[in-house]
Amino acid sequence: MSSEPASAMRKMFFREAIARAVREEMRDNPAVLILGQDVGRFGGSYREFDGLFEEFGAERVRDMPVAEAAMIGMGVGAAAAGLRPLVSITYMDFMMLGFDPLINYGAKLRYKTGGQMTAPVVVKTTAGAKGQGVAHSQCIEAWLMSVPGLKVVAPATPADAYGLMKTALRSNGPVVYVDHKRLFPVAGEVPLDQVAIPFGSARICRPGTDLTITAHSFMVRIALEAASLLAKEGLSAEVINLRSLAPLDINTIASSVKRTGRLLTLEEGQITTGVGAEVITRVMEKLGPVDFTRVGPLPAPVSSNPILEAACLPDAERIAVAGRLLLNAKKLVGSH
Amino acid sequence: MTDQSSLALLRQMKLIRAFEEALVVRPDHGFQLISSGEEAVAVGLCSLLSPHDQLLTGGRSIGPALACGVDPSRLMAELLGRSSGTNRGKGGRGHLADPARGFFGAHAVVGGNISIAAGVALALQMSSKDAIAAIVFGDGAFGAGALHETLNISATMKLPLLFVCNNNQLSVSTPRSLALAPSRLSDIGAAFRIPSQTVDGMDLDTVIDAISPAVDHVRAGKGPAFVECISYRFASHSTTARETRTRDELAEIRSLCPIVSQSRKLRAAGLLDDNLEHEINRSVADTVEEALRFADASPMPQEEEALLDVI
Repeated sequence: MSSEPASAMRKMFFREAIARAVREEMRDNPAVLILGQDVGRFGGSYREFDGLFEEFGAERVRDMPVAEAAMIGMGVGAAAAGLRPLVSITYMDFMMLGFDPLINYGAKLRYKTGGQMTAPVVVKTTAGAKGQGVAHSQCIEAWLMSVPGLKVVAPATPADAYGLMKTALRSNGPVVYVDHKRLFPVAGEVPLDQVAIPFGSARICRPGTDLTITAHSFMVRIALEAASLLAKEGLSAEVINLRSLAPLDINTIASSVKRTGRLLTLEEGQITTGVGAEVITRVMEKLGPVDFTRVGPLPAPVSSNPILEAACLPDAERIAVAGRLLLNAKKLVGSH
Repeated sequence: MTDQSSLALLRQMKLIRAFEEALVVRPDHGFQLISSGEEAVAVGLCSLLSPHDQLLTGGRSIGPALACGVDPSRLMAELLGRSSGTNRGKGGRGHLADPARGFFGAHAVVGGNISIAAGVALALQMSSKDAIAAIVFGDGAFGAGALHETLNISATMKLPLLFVCNNNQLSVSTPRSLALAPSRLSDIGAAFRIPSQTVDGMDLDTVIDAISPAVDHVRAGKGPAFVECISYRFASHSTTARETRTRDELAEIRSLCPIVSQSRKLRAAGLLDDNLEHEINRSVADTVEEALRFADASPMPQEEEALLDVI
């Protein structure tokens, strides 16, 4: 799906779009509550919960001790018992502490109880590098895509942030909602109407004809920069914002690749068993062999040292190089 | 307690024992986690819970499930993988659940259900009924971070959560003396200002006397309480795990049987005689036989069910 219904728009920051979606859902449904560190009067580490404590009070916006495992466990348990908690985990790296309740319990609950119980919890967490170092920068969403019973979404724009959060808070099973440190200060148009974005719906955010680039979260912006670089050379890249990783909108991706004939996957997390590996495999399962390349960070931890962090991360220039190589490889083959 | 309910509790303990004895000779659905020896903890606790309360346990959950009122036939069907089971045969040992009966469920990751129970307690607290959640876990889970984090959070939030440590003194083969530093596990409660005590888990009346005020405390909205019940499991960790204790040790442990001692007490009080006990035994045997018949008459799940209720 590449278009949402037309609606009047308003410009807002990414963090404001999150707060708006959560506020509306909390108003509509008394079962929605927030558990997290610094989510109360502080308003969230990135002010993405600004004003919610003031409106809903300490009962529904709960500051928790630094105990991610128990916090996710509580969220999952409360969800199984009828609430709809949003558990805020400051950095995605810390989600590892809560994998047991999320993966061993929450994601399995509906299956293991023969459909009689579900855990509609949203774990919202912030991924990505921005000077925070080796244990506060990781993008491990690909680890989670393979868990049966778990949904994983990663907004790239304020409109995504809003629409995906609406769907997440109405979803009937555990959802991991991955945002990004560098996205909070980004502004963008968001529909004034309460439009939820369904999961499993990618969006073509720049049409093109020579090459398909898939990305999610902050890397969508970098992909768009790379597409602009390539355009200066007369190369037309189509950029797809995945938005939802599990489920994955393979139809939108595959029909794009069918038109362009080439696929470049981009991600900030590791490419080994990464999002791109899955995208490429699923595309080829549908279309047969296509020319592809994967772009991601160096296979190394992300340092807080700015030189090393920048060296590690994919940037527009690196993507453009990979894109050119992919296009040239095709031309060379074609010239024989 | 009325004479009738004393006999009903004896019957429940006997049912758990007989149910498990019938189950262990059925090797057709993998290993089972048996709680024989620990019946007084399950029955004593459940006798104090109300219909709106929810009980969560670790994997060793047959006793608590039966004591909570889960239908023995559907429970047996579940443990034997039948689609008429409580979980349509998909949960099996360690994952039994029947929340409509107040048995929110078992979770077989050691310690894994403790923070889940805090979430259930939070939901009950916010629903403003006077219902409580109870979590039964073993000494194995005592060493896990989940307990320590959850004690802290539940005390801070004054959650209606009762912690019951069924300390059977073994983690598979590792004795608690090698695994856990505190000499009394309930001492941990003091650090969190949670009322706590340690009692003999082999005696039904003692368990009830200890848990009753703890339940009252929790139900009154005063926050969590912690009860350690020292018990013995009569069998090895699972029906396929090696027994590590000697014959002599086992004989001594089995002489502490909570069912025998309860029956002796009821006889001394004039509440039980040979005829009545025989009647109870026969009724228990009938229930177990019916449970096996029900399970055996039920189909296994279809292969297509592997993809049902995943998302």
